[in-house]
Amino acid sequence: MNIIRTIAQVGILTLYYLLGVAIVEVTGIIIPGSIIGLLLLWLSLYFKLIKVQHVQKGANLLLAFLTLFFIPSTVAIINYPELLTKAGAILMLAVILSTLFTIIVTGKVSQYIEKREMGQEERKHASTTSSVSHHS
Amino acid sequence: MLQLLQALAIIVSTVLLFIAFNKLYLKVGHPLLLPILTATCTVIIVLLVFNIPYETYMEGGQWISKMLGPAVVALAFPLYTQREIIFKYKYSILISIVFALCAGVASVFTLLKLSGAEESFILTALPKSLTTPVAMQVSDSIAGVPPLTVVLVMIAGFTGAFLGSTLFKIFNINSAISRGVAMGSASHGVGLTKLKEYGEEDLSIGSLAMGLSAVFGAFIIPLFVFLLL
Repeated sequence: MNIIRTIAQVGILTLYYLLGVAIVEVTGIIIPGSIIGLLLLWLSLYFKLIKVQHVQKGANLLLAFLTLFFIPSTVAIINYPELLTKAGAILMLAVILSTLFTIIVTGKVSQYIEKREMGQEERKHASTTSSVSHHS
Repeated sequence: MLQLLQALAIIVSTVLLFIAFNKLYLKVGHPLLLPILTATCTVIIVLLVFNIPYETYMEGGQWISKMLGPAVVALAFPLYTQREIIFKYKYSILISIVFALCAGVASVFTLLKLSGAEESFILTALPKSLTTPVAMQVSDSIAGVPPLTVVLVMIAGFTGAFLGSTLFKIFNINSAISRGVAMGSASHGVGLTKLKEYGEEDLSIGSLAMGLSAVFGAFIIPLFVFLLL
């Protein structure tokens, strides 16, 4: 019974995906159908058009297998032997370095902004709860 | 009939391979054993040894790839359950995602320009931090080579999944928001497979970063190419 329910929920998620793809085809927007489907499902959950219990099991199953779905497209690497040339190596190295750089600076910048946003909120909170301000 | 059986055999063996390597990874926990690395390498070795073309593998493989669409939709679930923290830190998250997108595009562009790479290679590499379906579309629209873009997207994903947690440790990146935004914007869905290990908060912020990067990137990257090339 549980298995049937989970599969049915995967079916619901697939319907949302297909709806997203259909919307992209009709309107011609450049955003991919899966992202539109994600948005529609989120809105459906938010406006209680669908209950969390109706998708939870299916969503957790798909997310547990997320890595699997990337394997076939990654295997495509065998169709590009030119990646083994010098130009290919430079290309891959640039992508790796750029990714490392992006992770580091984004992580740091995000942490900095987050602390400021948190600080502002605390200050707002402090000024409403007490009139005493601290200067150092 | 034979073709159907062959496709089925490819699907079943890929799934079993993934399950086995995933079990191994969960047991040992070493990043070199990430199933995206071990399972993919095993498939590649099998194809090369038995001289099976990629197109033959994809007769079954395409059905596995097709599940990526519903799986991306499934990310709405952690995004919904974690909505409070996302609303609370919306400015930090939004600004960081746009920053990450610009940092990724500018850095890969600069590196390739400095090393004298061909223009078609540069265009192919620009969408590398976006999620696969969007990266392909963007690559196509700016005259890159879409299938090669997919390979670079996977390399960007691998880099994050493989080295992300080490970078977080070295550079003291230790909040769910900063980890989620950094990984989701730089390494999309493949990065999320690693982010999952940090918990639902990281995963939801990561998927938000992946989704928004895709949407923003679809506009910003063609604009960048239009202005600079």
